[in-house]
Amino acid sequence: MKQKFLPLALLVTAILPATAQQVSYEEYDLDNGLHVILHKDNTAPVITTAVMYHVGSKDEDPERTGFAHFFEHLLFEGTKNIERGQWFKIVTANGGQNNANTTQDRTYYYEVFPSNNLELGLWMESERMLHPVINQTGVETQNEVVKEEKRMRMDNQPYGQFATALFENLFDKHPYRWPIIGSMQHLDAAKLDEFLAFNDKFYVPNNAVLVVAGDLDTEKTKKMIRDYFGPIPRGKDIVRETFEETPITQVKKARFEDPNIQIPAILTAYRTPSMKERDAYVLDMISSILSDGKSSRLYKKLVDEEKKAMEVGAFNYALEDYGAYIIYALPLGGTSLDVLVAEIDEEVGKLQNELISERDYEKLQNKFESQFVNANSSIEGIANSLARYYMLYGDTKLINEEIDIYRSVTREDIREVARKYLNPNQRLLLEYVPEESENN
Amino acid sequence: MKKLIFTLLFISAFALQAQIDRSKQPSPGPAPEIHLGTPQTFDMNNGLKVIVVENHKLPRVSYTLTIDNPLFAEGEKAGVSSLTGSMLGKGSVHIDKDSFNDEVDYMGASMNFGHSGAYASGLSKYAERILELMADAALHPDFKEDEFGKEKDLLLEGLKSNEKSVSATAKRVESALAYGKNSPQGEFVTEETVNRVSLEDVKNFYGNYFVPENAYLVIVGDVKFKDIRKQVEKHFKGWRKAAPPVANYAKPSDAQYTQINLVNMPNAVQSEIAVENLMDLRMSDADYFPAMLANKILGGGGEARLFLNLREDKGYTYGAYSRIGADLRTTSRFRAWASVRNEVTDSAVVAFLGEIDRITTDKVSAQELEVAKADYAGSFVMALEKPETIARYALLTKTQKLPENFYQTYLEKVEAVTAEQVLDAARKFFKGNQARIVVTGKAADIAENLEKVTFRGKKVPVRYYDKYANPIEKPQEKRIAEGVTVQSVLDSYIAAVGGVAKLETVKNMVSETKGTIQGMQLDIIAKNTSDGKVLTETAMMGNTMSKQVFNGKTGYVVQQGQRMELEGEKLEQMKDNAYPFPELELRNKETVTLKGIEEIDGKDAYAIQNGAYTSYYDVESGLKVFQVFTTEVNGQSLKQTFKFEDYQDVEGIKIPFKTIMDTGMGMEMELHTATVKFNEEIPEADFE
Repeated sequence: MKQKFLPLALLVTAILPATAQQVSYEEYDLDNGLHVILHKDNTAPVITTAVMYHVGSKDEDPERTGFAHFFEHLLFEGTKNIERGQWFKIVTANGGQNNANTTQDRTYYYEVFPSNNLELGLWMESERMLHPVINQTGVETQNEVVKEEKRMRMDNQPYGQFATALFENLFDKHPYRWPIIGSMQHLDAAKLDEFLAFNDKFYVPNNAVLVVAGDLDTEKTKKMIRDYFGPIPRGKDIVRETFEETPITQVKKARFEDPNIQIPAILTAYRTPSMKERDAYVLDMISSILSDGKSSRLYKKLVDEEKKAMEVGAFNYALEDYGAYIIYALPLGGTSLDVLVAEIDEEVGKLQNELISERDYEKLQNKFESQFVNANSSIEGIANSLARYYMLYGDTKLINEEIDIYRSVTREDIREVARKYLNPNQRLLLEYVPEESENN
Repeated sequence: MKKLIFTLLFISAFALQAQIDRSKQPSPGPAPEIHLGTPQTFDMNNGLKVIVVENHKLPRVSYTLTIDNPLFAEGEKAGVSSLTGSMLGKGSVHIDKDSFNDEVDYMGASMNFGHSGAYASGLSKYAERILELMADAALHPDFKEDEFGKEKDLLLEGLKSNEKSVSATAKRVESALAYGKNSPQGEFVTEETVNRVSLEDVKNFYGNYFVPENAYLVIVGDVKFKDIRKQVEKHFKGWRKAAPPVANYAKPSDAQYTQINLVNMPNAVQSEIAVENLMDLRMSDADYFPAMLANKILGGGGEARLFLNLREDKGYTYGAYSRIGADLRTTSRFRAWASVRNEVTDSAVVAFLGEIDRITTDKVSAQELEVAKADYAGSFVMALEKPETIARYALLTKTQKLPENFYQTYLEKVEAVTAEQVLDAARKFFKGNQARIVVTGKAADIAENLEKVTFRGKKVPVRYYDKYANPIEKPQEKRIAEGVTVQSVLDSYIAAVGGVAKLETVKNMVSETKGTIQGMQLDIIAKNTSDGKVLTETAMMGNTMSKQVFNGKTGYVVQQGQRMELEGEKLEQMKDNAYPFPELELRNKETVTLKGIEEIDGKDAYAIQNGAYTSYYDVESGLKVFQVFTTEVNGQSLKQTFKFEDYQDVEGIKIPFKTIMDTGMGMEMELHTATVKFNEEIPEADFE
């Protein structure tokens, strides 16, 4: 009886195709160039209003780095009709939540409210786009806040500067070479006029996407959007520079000293293509094989069995123009960083020389399927995905179709991509070590 | 003509502008109705009721099996239900445990089991197989003796680790006193009752109670009713129709008058306070929403009165909250609680009673009510996004016999509540005159002041209980025998560990201690000298984590690479503790005082206080058995405790080889001394 049950079941589950997932949405442009995406889902009376602006640290003047992130703070200071200090209070008193974040490529603001506050959310975001108050008081206040944030999240944070150290060494020409938080000297030196100019240039409807997702009535919502966002004047077209890096052909070595750590880390980073490329998806799958879960190859070997590393991870830090494929490890006991590099190389080598097993491949597919499904399980998450797919990938449909790309990846693709990008001569080796103390 | 067009344009532009006035903050629309979707249902012949919420938005599915049996008492075999739950989900008679787990992982699914139900979720392409595996494990469990042994050991270990836990004791006694210790809601599991449970009992329990009469299977997700119905019928058909045994229990009753029930825990460094009374409330009652809002305003979160008063205003506690319950068949409890410092226990009780008095005397303000409604409605709405919430509501509608539109009209009902209704509900459910104030704490420190507490002009009587809710006499304060002084206590300690002469031969002591914290190895090396210098280095997983150095005059601490100079109080503390045997010096320190006799692990010990440190010396053996260090972290008082055990002889001197440290933040650590050496060569540079 026991015998019969299992193999039959396995056979059945393995050949079942997945049901297609459909997130329905509607998209259009206002006359002023604002792109609008509506996702209607009346299951729960929750509404997310979100605006993504196509401006990130890569759009900054090299002499004024940190502007994009600075704006994420500045634009909570108030608007013509929302007094300074009222933004968060309004949100809370109406049962909502809100936040914002900045990357190298874009800046994102959002509110989540019970759906009877949809108009409130639209009003707030349109106020921010139409006439934010940008004055010396706000600039000075946020200058302090940003410095505090830098101290807390980077300067005082163990391993808080690894991204900074990595990107400045991995990129020579592209603005990805400087950190999102930017330079405090640049921010100190900036004049109010420069902030106003940055706002006029990037915070315009033709450089933004508005996503309204959740419990909405399509026609009423469209009308409100027209009312609140329609009168916002279109900005000038934005001309973006392109930057092309010369490929790395010889290993680059770098070292960074962090005063907040005791245990060093080794980071290997390979320059990889834009997140829009198919290869970027294959690299995601490679990360999963290497370090996702207790049965993943690097984890199982270095952390679990051989106890050479305290922690190990692999991930593709994919961005709009380029990506960075990062594998890192923290040694355990006396293991040297060289040994860790050798171990990592051995596992990457296997991926370059051998095909993964059929069962590993199926497990991988199931994992990505699950991830994909869960990524779209909250309205807030869907709103963010819709904005991202439209703005950075230029293809909103990916919300439903991205999984097809993963599904189309073959075991051979995995081997080929590993061969193409993950070679020792194409990488940066960054030793991230404790700062040498002067007392010793 | 041109002009006309211009005018029209102007008008339409004007009209467009006039539709909104963006200088005003938009007011919220009418409270939204909830579209939960209409669940489809069917009943099986064996009694299982199935609720299906089709939701095709995502290709996933969840199954929740709930067996909603009436409450029952487990009596002298309390623990049998918990053991039955942990024995489920280990494969079935058809599939062994390893294959079962492997297949669940392969599908990316998750599955949990309990004594009154099961939960499974995963991708809908595996919908049937997940259901099949869940049904198989739930309905055809393979109860094995070796697994039973493992689970029983785990349960016993859990009980043991909770033995000294003040909060676990508090929870147990609070329910036992409120409902009666032999009632289904008041009974508790002990080592004794668990030891009476056999595998046969588990099988019987499973046979009696894991039956379909009161069972509900809620299915939410990307499935078709028609298909899933067939599958459920197929996989649950074999569940034999049966009802659980019926037993009747007396209805619990409130205390006749407001009283303090003091549960003595001599090891407590904080008091757990719970003000409680019984309440009969059903979700379908008219005063359900007023009662929920009354509680929200009293103690429902960080904006509520209890929190603002006891934490923000008075700083007695990290948080103070309250909760009410509502159930169709059973009596629930109103309970307001906080953990507070020993010194302020009585003041905190007074503050609790004061807030209960206020909310049952005066109407809440319009603004308070407004914010409470927004908060309450906001969390209700946000929670609805999760399919689990929708499933739970569908189930509650059945089990609590709610009107079909209960959740659809939820927000309107919240909105309609008035301040008068809140006051009425508060008066009905927060029974200031019949409150039981259960205080679990150290009687020696708190009893005297608690006996002085008055409420509404009357003295609140104090009754005493032990850890298992048995009434006891008021613990008598231990009298210190004539002639016992700081000097004599320290002298007998010194004599017990080896005598003055012997201790004075020790010029320095080097000890190595090991422990584990969150699974990570910790190594501590300490070097103390008789001229009052110290070096302590702590390493985690082989890497130095912190270092403390004191050279007799100045000292510093290095933590995570950051150096901090010690000054003031901290420096003094370092100085006192630098010596291998600080007691030799303490004998001559004037500010050291003898505080009294207290019980440490059931044995009397003298308490000697030196500033922030209180050390306890066993009356009988003279040995130092316990130490408490009080410090302040971010404005909160924190107590760290050290228990010293396993004294061993090292070259004629007794040294404790086991130290149990409680960090004061809910983390306990066992430290084992590996080596102790005297009079080693220590380079002076070590103390620089």
